[in-house]
Amino acid sequence: MPIPEQFARVWLATLLITYGIYFALVPGVDTGSMWSQLLSFGMTAVAQAVIIAVASAWMELRHRGGPRRDERDRAIEQRATSVAYHVLMVGVILSGCIMPFSHNGWALFHAAVAAIAIAEIVRNGVIVVLYRRGWHG
Amino acid sequence: MAERRLGNAVRLHRFLAREMTQAQLGERVGVTRQTIAAIESGRYSPTLEAALLIAEALGKPLEDIFFWENTDSGKT
Repeated sequence: MPIPEQFARVWLATLLITYGIYFALVPGVDTGSMWSQLLSFGMTAVAQAVIIAVASAWMELRHRGGPRRDERDRAIEQRATSVAYHVLMVGVILSGCIMPFSHNGWALFHAAVAAIAIAEIVRNGVIVVLYRRGWHG
Repeated sequence: MAERRLGNAVRLHRFLAREMTQAQLGERVGVTRQTIAAIESGRYSPTLEAALLIAEALGKPLEDIFFWENTDSGKT
């Protein structure tokens, strides 16, 4: 399995687990103190960073001296990023242009975080799918 | 109009080139073994530059390695 695909799978699993737990536990409305909300998000972000750092170090050690990214890896990443861009734009429009008329505070923050997390999930999901199903530029 | 897709004979010409491995061909072309495997199985269409390098590494003209094939009748 190519290294970028392995990395995308780790990213995908990490995002689904960390932000799945975050959005399952943290309500989408303004409840709780600012510090408890910040703590929840901080713990999620730190957990994600730690998992990614450990996985990256492990993969780097395992594939040391091996082939790096080539044209196929770059083509797949560009395609996945262009798909995720549209998802992110929809999220930004919702959380930044529409929701401010009906929501405020943490609901907007959670919507923006959700937009970023979903866009990243889509990006890594598309990378995995393109490696499995093929890509013909 | 018949449906066409890009076919290739990389596997055949690797075999004819003293059974060159995917890794060896990838090293000559500057791509990974997995990319050569994806090209052979039709899961990836290489850039023109990579296609020319593959043909050069296998010592064959480009059209012997990559060609259009009809989905119903094979190589054209």
